[in-house]
Amino acid sequence: MQSKRSFVLLFLVFSLSLLLVGCGGGDKKPDAKPAAPAKTETINIYTIWPEKYSSAVFAAFTKETGVKVNFLRFSSGEALARVVAEKGNPQVDVLFGGPADTFAAGVEKGVFEPYAPKGADKIPAKFKDPQNNWVGVAVNPISFMFNNKVLKQKNLPAPTSWDELLNPAFKNGLQTADARTSGTAISRILSLTYTMGEDKAYDYQKKLHQNIQMYTKSGAGGALPVANGQAAGGIFFLVDTLEIKAQGHDVVISYPKEGVAYAVEAMALIKGAKQPALAKKFLDWASTADMQKLYETNKIFFIPTNPDVKVQDPALDMSKVKLVEVDILKAGKDRQRLVDRWINEVIK
Amino acid sequence: MKRDPALVSAIATLWLALGVFVLYPFARLLQVTFFADGYFSLASLERVFTNWYDRAAVFNSLQLAFAVALAGVLLGFIFAFAVTRMNLPKPTKWFLGAVPVLPLISPPFTSSIAITLALGPNGMFFRWFGLPEFTIYGFWGTWLSETLTVFPVAFLTLSAVLAAIDPNLEDASLSLGRSRLGTFASVTLPLTTPGLANAFLLLFASSLADFATPLVLAGHSFPVLPTQAYLQITGLHDLRGGASLSFILLIPALIVYFLQRYWIGEKSYVTISGKSGPRTGIRSLGLAPEVGVMTVCLLVSVFILFLYAIIFLGSLVKVWGVDYRPTFEHYEYVFNRGMKAIKDTILIALVATPIGAILGTAFGYITSRMRFPGRRFMEFTALLNYALPGTVVGISYVIAFNTGPLVLTGTMAIIVAAYVFRYDATGIRSTVASLQQIDLSLEEASLSLGESAFGTFRKVTLPLIIPAVTAGMKFLFIRAMTAISATIFLISVHWTLLTTRILECMTELQFAQASAFSVVLILIVFAASGLISLMFRLAYPRYSR
Repeated sequence: MQSKRSFVLLFLVFSLSLLLVGCGGGDKKPDAKPAAPAKTETINIYTIWPEKYSSAVFAAFTKETGVKVNFLRFSSGEALARVVAEKGNPQVDVLFGGPADTFAAGVEKGVFEPYAPKGADKIPAKFKDPQNNWVGVAVNPISFMFNNKVLKQKNLPAPTSWDELLNPAFKNGLQTADARTSGTAISRILSLTYTMGEDKAYDYQKKLHQNIQMYTKSGAGGALPVANGQAAGGIFFLVDTLEIKAQGHDVVISYPKEGVAYAVEAMALIKGAKQPALAKKFLDWASTADMQKLYETNKIFFIPTNPDVKVQDPALDMSKVKLVEVDILKAGKDRQRLVDRWINEVIK
Repeated sequence: MKRDPALVSAIATLWLALGVFVLYPFARLLQVTFFADGYFSLASLERVFTNWYDRAAVFNSLQLAFAVALAGVLLGFIFAFAVTRMNLPKPTKWFLGAVPVLPLISPPFTSSIAITLALGPNGMFFRWFGLPEFTIYGFWGTWLSETLTVFPVAFLTLSAVLAAIDPNLEDASLSLGRSRLGTFASVTLPLTTPGLANAFLLLFASSLADFATPLVLAGHSFPVLPTQAYLQITGLHDLRGGASLSFILLIPALIVYFLQRYWIGEKSYVTISGKSGPRTGIRSLGLAPEVGVMTVCLLVSVFILFLYAIIFLGSLVKVWGVDYRPTFEHYEYVFNRGMKAIKDTILIALVATPIGAILGTAFGYITSRMRFPGRRFMEFTALLNYALPGTVVGISYVIAFNTGPLVLTGTMAIIVAAYVFRYDATGIRSTVASLQQIDLSLEEASLSLGESAFGTFRKVTLPLIIPAVTAGMKFLFIRAMTAISATIFLISVHWTLLTTRILECMTELQFAQASAFSVVLILIVFAASGLISLMFRLAYPRYSR
């Protein structure tokens, strides 16, 4: 009786799922869709870099190797949530781009397969995971961006220290990222804790809070408001500020003399990847100097990690900027505490 | 009502569908949330009661949902009244019917961005009118944007209900000496009560579950639950915390559901009895109230059009705010780089809409007309995915269908299923509301003449509820084209969506491309919902309006 009933149930579930999958079929069967006529090899990637950066990089890879790339773009948090949720049955082979602390969190969840790409030996150790879970392909520092018109109205120069952001002239006039969602915010807080010490950094942020108009969910969220003059300025990753500048907005980029932290943009092999050989081929290729040379030619505003790749754009020259070396693994462990302090002390 | 074998198998099929696509993912999510290492634990709920920020989010969510539902129902009723119960020239009716649909058919964050540009710090309104600045971020901005986004749902469901009220009833009241306003208050309004209650429930639930608007407009000072849940999952990589925050959302959703049940109670709202004479024309409400109604409609319409003008112009100039030279380059980008997303989205919506229409009507009809054990529970289950925040539905689908007996991740079916079981809620609710207006005797007559339950449904009931079915179908199609919260976790390298491309453009600072995508999407949806209306008008020429 029991087994008969469960058999009927099973049959019903099966037929219904067939019905639904069948509806999805039509001329475009989902399973058949990576329409790979056996010879074209295809690899699936979640990317955290903007669509236009990613497509430039992947197109170059396809041109070089003939391997087609199916990709989907997510914010770092969404991408990691996806990879973790799909752990038992990975949908992609590689997670590409995005700050290393996201990758460190992924290591904790056991979603990556350690792999040391060929070519990656040129990349300095500080840009790589000691266990080879991920490799850093680019560097992205924190910077200030201000609207030139607003600065002129207020008759102020572009700030060159953290303290200048506390100027009451900026009251309710700055936008920056929310610590709970944004890697930008974490790098901002790390910049402060590494240059001032943790407690002082939180005292500072409490004061800075008076001048914050809005904490945005994504790191770049405040950049357009600054460009439009909705906000006077803010603290962003360099890549976002240069993107705004390239669009023609009248903004000025500056750095605090005390120093800023930077994010390492990483990539990793997914554990249980369906195409491990192709994924490794991609990681090998993406570690080469040739790949990092693509940044400059495609207006991808990241700084290469490979010392063999020289940048021409003065905006990407970090020799005059004080960069703070952050311990990524430690930062990953501190993250929850730093965010909790931010919620309970800064925005309360 | 006799046990029809067709009915039994229909109920079994519906339960099966609910079991697989609502209860099973929900159970898997419960398991992930409340079972740690094989033991039941409430630890993940504890944080909500100890953390001030989460407590504030609970309170804010309720406050916001209540305010949005109230304002949205009021606004929706005013628009629906103008369109269905006033003698307006045809173009005016068309205009008032078309404008509220705009916010509905664009992804919510698009209108949020337009609102920020218009009313945000240094926004156009303040510069033009020299108004003192106030902060749009927080309760007011979120409330305004959500009200504009959800009131069309009230408008659509209330139009169907209002249009079904026979003017003869109002005539009867008028000829018995009641004033026009008195007639409105004692006849028209009470007959709309189930519609109003349903609209309130739908709006309350959608505001409660909306995460995209607060993401852009709520800021840090006004946390709400769905956004908190989303941040917990994507920002802090804490699925259990995020899921438990979402479970808190179920409590108010349940309360509203039962309140609404209690409120509608057993009163009769029958307006279609088969016994009435020919329909007479619509009676005017009087000049002053009609002028009031028109003023509200026009002001709101102008504001909405202004917001969309920003988006439309934003898609046609080089860089908004810097370089106003006209260009089509953003549309070139959309049609070159976004073509796959456009095709995928349309196909998914085309598949989801008929499935959802059939299921929605079936749920609505069976739960309100048939008597069988577990009927209420079925109705509740059918609405469960709508009450849950989309991100949670999305995550639960990934958990449930990535491994185990039914693997669907990466397919089109998982997106279609998410849409169907989440957004046929409007179809169900408007079918139920419209059925409550139809006298059972009509169907009993058909049954006693020997027609089967299914035949009665098809030949008698269905034609009478066609406006409600059309409304539900349009809503489902629109949502399948514009929703983002659930499916952001379900899109795959094989199937991607327009809305995620828009969100992507917004986060990548490409306002112009986001605008161009939005304009394309709005045009597609407008054309499609026109087609759906036309289809039903051709199929049921006598019943649809």
